[in-house]
Amino acid sequence: MTGIVDLEQVNKFYGDYHALRNVDLSVAKGEKVVVCGPSGSGKSTMIRCINRLEEHDSGRIVVDGKELTDDESKIESVRREVGMVFQAFNLFPHMTVLQNLTLAPRLVHKKPRGEAEEAAMKYLTRVRIHDQANKYPSQLSGGQQQRVAIARALCMNPEVMLFDEPTSALDPEMISEVLDVMTDLAREGMTMICVTHEMGFARSVADRIVFMDNGEIIETSTPADFFAAPKTERARTFLGQILAH
Amino acid sequence: MSLLDGWWDDFFFGLLTVLQVFAVALAIAVALGLLGASAKLSNSRLLRALAQVYTVVFRGAPELLVLLLFYFGMALTLTWFVQLFDPSVKFIDLPPFWAGSIAIGLIVGAYMTETFRGAFLGVDRGHIEAARALSLNPYQVFWYVRVPQMWRLALPNFGNHMLSIMKDTALISIIGLEEILFVAKMANSVVHRPFLLYVTVAMIYLAMTTVITLVVGQLEVRANRHLRGTR
Amino acid sequence: MSFDFALIATSLPKILQGLGLTLNLLVVSTLLGLLLAVGILLMRLSQHAWLVWPAKAYIYFFRGTPLLVQLFIIYYGLPQFGLLRHSFLWPLLREPYWCSVIALALNTAAYVSEILRGGVLGVDKGLIEAGKALGLTKFQRASRITTPLAVRLALPAYSNEIVSMLKSTALASTVTLMEMTGVARTIVADTFAPYEIFIAATIIYLVLVWFIQTAFTLIEGYANRHVRKG
Repeated sequence: MTGIVDLEQVNKFYGDYHALRNVDLSVAKGEKVVVCGPSGSGKSTMIRCINRLEEHDSGRIVVDGKELTDDESKIESVRREVGMVFQAFNLFPHMTVLQNLTLAPRLVHKKPRGEAEEAAMKYLTRVRIHDQANKYPSQLSGGQQQRVAIARALCMNPEVMLFDEPTSALDPEMISEVLDVMTDLAREGMTMICVTHEMGFARSVADRIVFMDNGEIIETSTPADFFAAPKTERARTFLGQILAH
Repeated sequence: MSLLDGWWDDFFFGLLTVLQVFAVALAIAVALGLLGASAKLSNSRLLRALAQVYTVVFRGAPELLVLLLFYFGMALTLTWFVQLFDPSVKFIDLPPFWAGSIAIGLIVGAYMTETFRGAFLGVDRGHIEAARALSLNPYQVFWYVRVPQMWRLALPNFGNHMLSIMKDTALISIIGLEEILFVAKMANSVVHRPFLLYVTVAMIYLAMTTVITLVVGQLEVRANRHLRGTR
Repeated sequence: MSFDFALIATSLPKILQGLGLTLNLLVVSTLLGLLLAVGILLMRLSQHAWLVWPAKAYIYFFRGTPLLVQLFIIYYGLPQFGLLRHSFLWPLLREPYWCSVIALALNTAAYVSEILRGGVLGVDKGLIEAGKALGLTKFQRASRITTPLAVRLALPAYSNEIVSMLKSTALASTVTLMEMTGVARTIVADTFAPYEIFIAATIIYLVLVWFIQTAFTLIEGYANRHVRKG
């Protein structure tokens, strides 16, 4: 267990509900992991534990050598290294695109404004949206908003990127523009953990696929193996339902 | 309007008094609203209970009753207190200006409490999470993400509370503050034109509430400019 | 200075003698105000500028000025006109009771018409379209779709308005009516015990507010039974 992200025997409860059961996962630097499974299987809960938006109840989570506990300063230092993209984008509605991107670098990294904006423009260009820098989020399409959200996370120069169903809230014609950006990012060597149902993306980008059900990881394999011959009945059923569309 | 000649300066000073009461009461209401909302959102059961009693009482009791209670009650308390040191004093009261401003501030502060609390809770959880995921500390999350959005959510109600304060100032004439309604009563005892005088008072209030409405409208446009979806 | 709890207890029954008048003012002016509000609402929603503008002006005036000033205009101001003193309205306008009812009703009508308008505008456009697509007439859509949904949407704000009306009835004491606040003021003038008497009155008002809110919670629960999860 010497990945950049290590989960050991992680358990999480909501009241009586057992949301994560003995989850073990180790992600190496540069690795791309796709997490899939039916809704309510604990995928989102698991990745939200990695930057402690959720607290785990037992087990260990270590990110780049730092174990997540109640220690606030450690939590903040982990969050500095871990970028996150949400299903609902969660762009700050009262700030322009550029302000969204420069907020954290200026506050957290204490970057001067000019430098932060320069970096922001670089990332906006990378996600092909630099001409919208001075617009407000509500003036953009969903696909554009999600690309801004990706650029916002990249502005913090993260070691690891977490994606929590980044395309689920998008209209079909906008999904590919977001997936293209994510694919570019993967090619550049970013460590990525993605919760997604986009199986085409998983097949072409992932090094490993993790299948969860009922709070457990019940199968881990390469994309080739997972799609050709899922080891478990539950994964077979899941794939049948997803690919039937 | 020549009938009112000779009274315009009284109305003018009455209006100045109204504006002063408005400013003082607004400041008190905002301060109490922030305190009340913090108390309601705090982890302390005692603070939450106190804030709850405050909002239930001051939103449920008639404004006039609160004003009278405060004015006469304070007079009694102050007299008692001063007599401890100087028994020769017969009666002392809180000036109607302060009694009125504080009473209105207390009442509207209870409404402000609910407005600020609602605005605090109304901010999308996702935005807070996104800010935390970007490793902003709790203080930064509060000032850069929560407060600007609270302001937008609170503005419409905040505007209504300002209108309430403005209109409630008329009540203070009952305890003898020389604001415009009081001036109209005095003028009437001389010129005997009650309709004209009270309609004049109404028009002055209408002008004030119109200004408040316009200003709040402009603030709302500013606060919502990011929501114009011009794709 | 001492606080006399017994005085609260003994003054409660005296203040309660004004309860009947307080409730009377509340109910009569609320009902009259509601009728008036519906009329203003229909004018406000009509397509004709000559109906819309008077409604807007009415709402603007009554929401933009203090109720106390409105009451004074009606009670002290209108008798200035000799014409009115000789008209059929005089028996009403002479009475502080009717002046209070008129002022309260005119005032609440402005607020209630805006509350109802908010409800009407809040009805999902898709449901109106569905009604059209099903071939319902304009009147059928208004009575079967818009009105029931608008009323449900308006209920919470309307309950606040009733509470606010209850509190406004206290202003009737300024034109000599002996409702609860009027009674309390007379007792204070006799005993000079403002804390005890006014707190006693406040307690009664709070109980009434509680009744109003509980009643509306029940009404809302009944009106929204279709959204309760089975």
